Amino acid sequence: MANSNSTEPQKLLSKHELNQIWYRWGFTHLSSMSYEKLQGHAWAYSYLPFARKYYKNDPEKKRRLLERHSMFYNTEPQTGQIINGIVASLEEQIALGNDVSEEMPVTIKATLMGPLAGIGDSIIQGIIVPILLSIGMSLAKGGSPIGPLFYIIAYGIIGPTISYIAFHSGYRLGVGAIDTIVGENSKRITDAFNILGVMVVGALAANTIVLKTIAKIPQGGKSAPLQGVLDGIFPGLLPLAMVILGWWLVSSKQMTATKVIIIMVVIVTLGCLVGLF
Amino acid sequence: MNSLFFPALLTGIFCYLGAIETPWLFGMSGGFYIVGRPLVAGLLVGLAFGDIKNGILCGLAVQAVFIANLSTGGATNSEITYAAYGGIGLAMATTKNPAIAVTLAILIGQTFGLIFYNGRMALYSFWNTRAEKAAHENNDRGIVLNHLVYPQITTFLLRAVPVFLAIYFGKGLVNWLISSIPEIVTHIIQVLGGVLPALGIAMLMSIVIKSKPHFIFFLAGFVLLAFAKLSMIAIVFIAALVAYLYYLASGKNTVSAAGSTVGDNDQTVNTDDEYEDEDLF
Repeated sequence: MANSNSTEPQKLLSKHELNQIWYRWGFTHLSSMSYEKLQGHAWAYSYLPFARKYYKNDPEKKRRLLERHSMFYNTEPQTGQIINGIVASLEEQIALGNDVSEEMPVTIKATLMGPLAGIGDSIIQGIIVPILLSIGMSLAKGGSPIGPLFYIIAYGIIGPTISYIAFHSGYRLGVGAIDTIVGENSKRITDAFNILGVMVVGALAANTIVLKTIAKIPQGGKSAPLQGVLDGIFPGLLPLAMVILGWWLVSSKQMTATKVIIIMVVIVTLGCLVGLF
Repeated sequence: MNSLFFPALLTGIFCYLGAIETPWLFGMSGGFYIVGRPLVAGLLVGLAFGDIKNGILCGLAVQAVFIANLSTGGATNSEITYAAYGGIGLAMATTKNPAIAVTLAILIGQTFGLIFYNGRMALYSFWNTRAEKAAHENNDRGIVLNHLVYPQITTFLLRAVPVFLAIYFGKGLVNWLISSIPEIVTHIIQVLGGVLPALGIAMLMSIVIKSKPHFIFFLAGFVLLAFAKLSMIAIVFIAALVAYLYYLASGKNTVSAAGSTVGDNDQTVNTDDEYEDEDLF
């Protein structure tokens, strides 16, 4: 059987073939997403060229490859490429006939997708995107197209770069990459990024929430605007109070976005009716 | 009415391109994260309507509310692309008022956006079943068709068409609503447009603020902008510096933690006092 398979000597994946796996998954990871499978089928799709290279004469092995990569899968798709890299190195070993079980890629996918979704979502959706957006928003003040263009270019470079580096370092390190992902140093880096994110979110709050009072306070016959007094004590006090209220409702009271919207509508409506805002 | 046809159509197509599942722009990176962001939507809808400045102003206002739009595990709290393109598109077709754009975006995102999103997520199980069958049968073509081609046709129809119809036919309704509501309601909507970003930021806070002491850093960022009036870029640099110091400090803690098993909480609180204690050990 080995003879019929190896009319030519089996080789490692070329750089081009690796990139093929990378971009096939990168472009289509959510193309057929449903609650049932999420990113599952993108895996089978990304291994089609791989199957043509190694399993051209072995439909049974090819079928097993496609089946084990048609299961439910869900992670943060950009940082998660590190899993695709690790699995590519394992699948390559399997195809070359080395001693790696076919269970291994499945187990790796199932164990790593959760932790990587946690790390990836909090770094990308929680930190990188809001930071770039807040810079873009401050550049877009007054309707300048520089703001959106900055964001398009910045994230257009950063997103695919993260994905590319994650995939290739996953492939290079193979199973050894797992230590890097869940190791102590990676936690320190994530925590530090988190601090960066928290500070920028604070600035973002001061920059984007607009709430001013139009109430006036009597001052010896004349009346002075209350907002002027507040600005003298703490600029942005009302926006700060509003965001802390929102944060408390979301994190401590576990409220949904819709409930918080309703509460804010009530506060603003009452405030407007009594002439506060 | 006729002049609205192409802007509305383009907005519908952009809404498809900004979808989380669209593959053309490097998947989620270019679709969901770039074209799907209201800030970018403002520019694109502005281009479609030939009024970039007002488009961006509407986009800016909507972006502030949806700054923390999260999609974890496929679940979403509000459908950002329908919200952005439907809301900004309708606002551009009518008053070009950013506060109106925010109100419409929230209304659209929370209602018909979520309905369409969840409907599509359920519908795709149909294609998934067929793709899985194709994998069992070693059918490469079946995988491509049921993973890429058919789902994309479905999603195009479910995104471009409703947004086009909403803008094309919704203009009259929105105009009528805006002209017939009393002034106090317009004022409330205006104030709400400024306040609702607090919700987006609050949701962002609930992800990044992992322990109570982190709130100090939030306050620091707020004060740097509100009192010191620094630019966002300057604050990002200062924050990066603080994050680096934090990284170095947390290293010191872990080294000593190996010897004396300091609790997890100590790693997140890095006061100067602790430093000195660590050095004493």
